[in-house]
Amino acid sequence: MLTLPRWSAALSLGVVAALALTACAPASSEDPTEPPAETAGASDDETGDEAPAQAEGTLKVGYISPITGNFAVAGQEMVDGWNLYWEINGNEVNGVTVETIVEDDAGNPEISLTKARKLVESDQVDVVVGPLLANTALAVAEYTSSVGVPNLHPVAAADDLTQRAANDFTVRSGSMSGSQANYPGGVWAADQGHETAVTLCPDYAFGWESCAGFKQGFEQNGGEVTAQFWYPNGTSDFSTYVSQLQSAGADIAYVATAGGAPGPDFMRSFLGLGLKDTQPLLMNCCSMDQATLRAMGTEVLGIHSVSNWAEGRDAPEVAEFNAAYAERYDGKIPSLNVAGGYVTASQVAQVLAENGLVTGDELVAAISATTFEDSILGKTVFDEYNNPVSPVYIREVQEVDGQLLNVPIETFDAVDQWLGMDPEEAMARPNYSQQFQG
Amino acid sequence: MTRDRKVGLGAMALLLLALASYPYLGTSGYQVSIASTVLIAAILASTVNFLAADGGMASLGHGAIAGAAAYGAGWASLQGHSMATQIALAMVVGILVTTVYGVLSMRTNGIYFLMVTLALGMVVFGLAYRLSSVTRGENGITGIERPEVLAEPWAFYLFLVGCFAVTTAALWVVSRSPFGATLRGIRDSESRMRSLGYYVPAYKLGAFMISGTIASLAGLLAVWHTHFVSPSATELGRSVLLIVMVLLGGLGTTLGPLVGAAIVILVENVVSNSVERWPTVLGLIFILTILFARAGLVGSAAKVLRRRRRGTDAGEPDTAEPAGLTTTTTIP
Repeated sequence: MLTLPRWSAALSLGVVAALALTACAPASSEDPTEPPAETAGASDDETGDEAPAQAEGTLKVGYISPITGNFAVAGQEMVDGWNLYWEINGNEVNGVTVETIVEDDAGNPEISLTKARKLVESDQVDVVVGPLLANTALAVAEYTSSVGVPNLHPVAAADDLTQRAANDFTVRSGSMSGSQANYPGGVWAADQGHETAVTLCPDYAFGWESCAGFKQGFEQNGGEVTAQFWYPNGTSDFSTYVSQLQSAGADIAYVATAGGAPGPDFMRSFLGLGLKDTQPLLMNCCSMDQATLRAMGTEVLGIHSVSNWAEGRDAPEVAEFNAAYAERYDGKIPSLNVAGGYVTASQVAQVLAENGLVTGDELVAAISATTFEDSILGKTVFDEYNNPVSPVYIREVQEVDGQLLNVPIETFDAVDQWLGMDPEEAMARPNYSQQFQG
Repeated sequence: MTRDRKVGLGAMALLLLALASYPYLGTSGYQVSIASTVLIAAILASTVNFLAADGGMASLGHGAIAGAAAYGAGWASLQGHSMATQIALAMVVGILVTTVYGVLSMRTNGIYFLMVTLALGMVVFGLAYRLSSVTRGENGITGIERPEVLAEPWAFYLFLVGCFAVTTAALWVVSRSPFGATLRGIRDSESRMRSLGYYVPAYKLGAFMISGTIASLAGLLAVWHTHFVSPSATELGRSVLLIVMVLLGGLGTTLGPLVGAAIVILVENVVSNSVERWPTVLGLIFILTILFARAGLVGSAAKVLRRRRRGTDAGEPDTAEPAGLTTTTTIP
């Protein structure tokens, strides 16, 4: 009679376990009891705006990036770029100390959101930087704007971030929208006298936007895109796509990848079919980045690509950045992701130096109103939607002092995100897809 | 048995009280938000638990069912439809997808069932990813609101506690009903049940529909929590994590899904704050559980307690022993 049945014992144990587990959550996040003191200090100093010469306080930065999972390499690079800037220049600007908390979202928007909530509500950060992927970026931007915290995007390329979903708290600081960065590629291809083009892009939002940018640039300048091919993410054998490109017989082929393995994989098939000398080719930012150059070596000398970052640009700030990165990372040359993180940090630093400690939408407004003359991406200003208007480079792989670099051979200055349209007209159109390429 | 049931109900009431009082213990919005995530995952995991434990059907597609329901709400919100329409559409889409799953999988079992649900999950993911005119592709749909009454995080959390209690009770009742007994019979020997005159596929379809309907509700709750849906909500990885939650907590236990969901969500969101290699932590927890507590944390704890009591009691045979995914058929 004294015995209880098995399942009720299980229930009571469950109670204990559940209580213990829920208790874990508060316990582990109660440590930020110290930060409020600093944040209080920070808000005191908001009044220091009147004396921008010497503001004091702390700018707490929450940095969300996929450090684990499928996008770990790009995510880590994005963090490295941010840290690199503060390592070189010190994390104190104009009396303001920049303090960074890095959080991993594994590329999953639900985790991104929880991390953003944690940073804002528990750590009480002044600004959230990141994350990297389009869907995570859009989810976080929506949340941060709803609670009035600025959100800077070093790498995310989703068009909507600064178009249909634009707001006063979101800046695309270090990258360009997917269509914006590739539009000049189309213009350049048409200027080279090519009349027909064929495109190959990954079959999801980033690929649709990249191809749409190229296609509109090309067709607005008299060219015609005769065929568009799409490959699913995760494709590793590109030989069928390369033969499709070949049989399309267009004057120039435009190929985009979102970085990582597809770049080298495509190049192997392309070179393997011996097309390098017969088929003119233009790649996007990430398919011809340093990872591809390291993997392919001198085989890809002379290949053209279009991007808002060119590590081979002859400018002192780029040389300084490359050298500093190489020194810390085994002589490697920084990629677009590193550049994005670094540029974002440099923008925050410049704004702090000029305005003292600014937070909230004032920080975003200050970034958006500043002209960044010496950015490693080239002279950058921002449009009303907080999207950069900056140069896009047509680059060629060249060997410089024994290193393979993407050297700009033509520069399109002050490229905006509207592809030659009015903002209203552009945003009234549907999002780009396989069916709608503008 | 009546007294035991009373104790069980008392324990359950205590747990609900503890869960419901959580927002009043000086917790921050962030902690309530994490607890909400745990509850939603627990509801979803309990549907997988029900299907796997009673029906012997391990599904790798429940994440996609929930995701489809979330997309239903998201699409309706995008078109500017009212809240009632959003709710209705979420449930309709979720149940529709469940029906497709159910009809296609009701004649299969074991690994074949697993593969059918896996394949259908990939189809849903593919549609979410590629059918951008409806789903907006990888960008996902943002700005999905929840009803005004639930706008406050604590109100929503309490609503979730209610939902969790109701769905858990509902699944418990179904599991203890003649329908549940028939399902377990089918799980143990399909041919025997068939020869007894049961139309097996109908029972399987029924179980799948019950499970899928609650999974759709979980999907709607999830989108109300995050205000956002993207293809990653329908990814295979989400469905696999549901199985992990169920196995961690204990297959066939009433509270196993809650415990399992709590562990997975806390590792994903809280442990990852301080441990960079948190996927390893999750993997280790899972491996250790499988090695040393095969019935899951709740199941094994119950076993230990039971063994200890056996000394005073002449081992009363168990009626609802938690069964492994691969059940052995023993005919007495």
